[in-house]
Amino acid sequence: MSRSRRSEEYPHFPLHLILLVYVVVTLYPLLWVFTIGFSGRQDLFIVDIPANPTFLNRLRAIMPWPAHVSVSNFVSVFTEQPFARWLFNSTVVAIATTLLGVFLACTSAYAFSRFKFPGRRAGLMSFLVSQMFPGTLMMIPLYIIIVKWLGLGSTYLGLILVYAITGIPFCVWMLKGYFDTIPRELEESALMDGASAAVIFYRIVLPLAKPAVAVTALFSFMTAWNEYIQAQTFMDKVTMYTAPVGLKFFVGGFQQQWGYFAAGAIITAIPIVALFLFLQKYLISGLTAGAVKG
Amino acid sequence: MTAGPPHRRRFLVGFAAALVLGAALSQWVLTRASERESEFRATRIAVVGASALAEVAGRAGGVGDGLRRAVAEFARDNTEVSSARIVILDGISLEASTAPADRGEKAAPRRLTREEKPLYDQAQGLRAAVETNRQEGTARKPEIETAAVSGRALSAAAPLEKDAAVVGMAMVETTPPPPSPPPGWLFPLLVVAFGVLAYWLATLATGERRGWLAGAACLLLLVAMALLGWHAFATLAGERRLTESGVASAVAIEAGRTQRALRELGQGAAAAPLHPGRWDTDLFRRPFGIVRDDGSVDTAKVESALANGVSSTTRVTGGVTALALALLCFVGFGAAGRLGATIRRYRQAYAYTFPAMFGMLVLVFLPFLYGVVLSFSDMSLYSSQASIGDLFTKLWVGLKNFADVLGDFHVATSTAGGLVWNYQNFYWTLGVTIVWTLTNVAYGVGMGLFLALILNTKGLLFRPIYRVIFILPWAMPNYITALIWKGMFHQQFGVINQIIQMFGGTPVSWFESPGTSLFACIATNAWLSVPFMMVISLGALQSISADLYEAARVDGAGRWQQFRSITLPSLKPALVPAVILSVIWTFNMFNIIYLVSGGDPAHSTEILITQAYKFAFEQYRYGYAAAYSMVIFAILLAYGIWQNKVTKATEGI
Repeated sequence: MSRSRRSEEYPHFPLHLILLVYVVVTLYPLLWVFTIGFSGRQDLFIVDIPANPTFLNRLRAIMPWPAHVSVSNFVSVFTEQPFARWLFNSTVVAIATTLLGVFLACTSAYAFSRFKFPGRRAGLMSFLVSQMFPGTLMMIPLYIIIVKWLGLGSTYLGLILVYAITGIPFCVWMLKGYFDTIPRELEESALMDGASAAVIFYRIVLPLAKPAVAVTALFSFMTAWNEYIQAQTFMDKVTMYTAPVGLKFFVGGFQQQWGYFAAGAIITAIPIVALFLFLQKYLISGLTAGAVKG
Repeated sequence: MTAGPPHRRRFLVGFAAALVLGAALSQWVLTRASERESEFRATRIAVVGASALAEVAGRAGGVGDGLRRAVAEFARDNTEVSSARIVILDGISLEASTAPADRGEKAAPRRLTREEKPLYDQAQGLRAAVETNRQEGTARKPEIETAAVSGRALSAAAPLEKDAAVVGMAMVETTPPPPSPPPGWLFPLLVVAFGVLAYWLATLATGERRGWLAGAACLLLLVAMALLGWHAFATLAGERRLTESGVASAVAIEAGRTQRALRELGQGAAAAPLHPGRWDTDLFRRPFGIVRDDGSVDTAKVESALANGVSSTTRVTGGVTALALALLCFVGFGAAGRLGATIRRYRQAYAYTFPAMFGMLVLVFLPFLYGVVLSFSDMSLYSSQASIGDLFTKLWVGLKNFADVLGDFHVATSTAGGLVWNYQNFYWTLGVTIVWTLTNVAYGVGMGLFLALILNTKGLLFRPIYRVIFILPWAMPNYITALIWKGMFHQQFGVINQIIQMFGGTPVSWFESPGTSLFACIATNAWLSVPFMMVISLGALQSISADLYEAARVDGAGRWQQFRSITLPSLKPALVPAVILSVIWTFNMFNIIYLVSGGDPAHSTEILITQAYKFAFEQYRYGYAAAYSMVIFAILLAYGIWQNKVTKATEGI
């Protein structure tokens, strides 16, 4: 029996080989960033290549290990470049977006989950359809509304409003799905005891939905932290750049400060990657649930 | 106390509300129009002053003491024109000035100071505008600039021409006539009062019959709105006549000053006859042709222009009337009452949804509607100051933008050197987008499934480690990924060309031909899109019961048969939504294209969404970009509907 079972399975060694090849493909770009970041230089290449390079020279040039390990790039982005300011901007925007977005989404999702009212279906459908509005179509009028009408160009508030509100549909769908799974009996018995709707919402439903609220909040945070193109459009002043716009600034146009870029990218990405790995299970289930529904 | 019969009371309230709304809106529009007319008047008078000065300076030859004497004579005792300045481009000089600031040490002629550079720039701008318009044979750039100075004063700058070439700028500061007082409230108030009274009397006759109540209300509302419209038109026509006579008297006065100044210059300059009527122009120096050379008004022309203007007043009044009628019906037939009752009944639910809904309305649905309107307009950089009203009138081009996007089939032109592709053509970009999406999704699914199948092998060592490593590209912010790969594809220093050279190849200029450029983008996106598919597939694979395979083996099914009849069908429920989602993601993957290739070379590797962004924010063709985006929206909506059918999605709502 065990013999026949083994013949059913592939031998593991070639499988590991294939997986290792793909590990190299996956890790190489990341190691390369680390190499540039710790090289202490602004160049794209890892070592200087002699005029008539041999195979070994070239091999050394693609090995992701810097010629001299140095943390000068990490120091410089904070001392010589306004990167600390950009990180601060990103932090302010992302945290405020999370608070505002989650508050709006929680109340709204609760109503969609618990109350039957005229316009409920239309509201949910409009949230879904709004997800298909192309970003570029929205960006021109949004620019006019935020910058020209409200005068919120290059301000935290403008970007926060845009992020929080355009993120509402996704957050509402995620939270509503979770609220739907909370048994109504709890609320009904509280209602019997004379609790008001607000008390039920804050004392019973929200504490029960803590995991979903946390995931939604972290998701909002990540979206705001990683957003690039709107931030570039709305933030004109260099001092108001967010981290993504700032990183692009290092290597965009005629700037070629790859060392600063790499150091900044490492600092910006590490917390968000850690957060993602920590949350991936929830994100994946949320995404697929959303996909099945809409 | 008995409540009045429901229909009658409702219609009375509705009628009153509609009439108040109509009257208030008309009054508001009228006030705005009257303000604009005052501005228009002031601008025209200022333009006349600037043109007259330009004429004097032009005849004086643009330089010298003669010019200064003539300008001084022109500005002497001139109550309309408080100061006159002549700037000459050649030599950057202030050739003549009567401005109080230019006395003593700063008296003309002198070189412009550093702080006065804006004056020089303005003169250069006017020269460029005149030359552009002449070359194009159009009136695209304003040739006269006006600006508010301090208080009500208005400055106007006109190009100074000598021998049909712009050599400088004539600038005047004028004190415009006092603006007309805002239209009074008496007439609209009277209309509202008498209207409501008349309707109340009418309802005594109709009683509770709904048809009669509604008919009478509509009829009276139309009459009242017609009265308000007529009043608005009469007021504006009066204002316009005031404008024409004001401009005409300005022309007559400036003509007199000009004659005086030309006498100062002597016989030669005064030889050619003056045409003061031609000083009254729009900002493109096209004469209105309403004021004659002797300073009288061509009344017939004014009246015919006014007659043409009736239609625009009618359109505005019609719009306001339609709104008022809608309000009347809304209240009169009880919809408002029912809506109010619904809101009261479900006030808790609405209170909970209101903040989010309000935000969505202002920052999602309103911009969307605005974008839709924009797509029917010709808004661009040249009209970026346009108001919303202008979008529906001056800038409205109907379906032209859509015809331009979809109806342009010149994807390629054949020349002697072979086919030349038109990379900004919609169908080229659509083709690139389709190739981009299909390649990426196919690779993502294929590679993701392949890795998942390997990782799902029973008893495989280090599985959690592999999984975490493989998921990293998904966790990385995609703009960072894009910039990293852009660096790796660098022609001179990029790692990828180093590898190619290591094996004896020649380095590739990745972003200089469409094929390699798109390949670089696809490679980047492929790298980051595998993990999503892998994770989804792995989850689905792990949920397949081992018993199924056991049973299949007992039945003698081979490996391939097991894969086809057990693995694939079990993957389907998870993979189909994932593929659908990933198609939309890839289709809209702005960052990768924008940051890796940036569309290079020559926009050949743009996908629809980056191309739309560039039309809007690099070429500033807002209307065209909006129409382009609407087409993208239509494609996504069609896809969404189709996908909805496939997954039977909305059952759960």
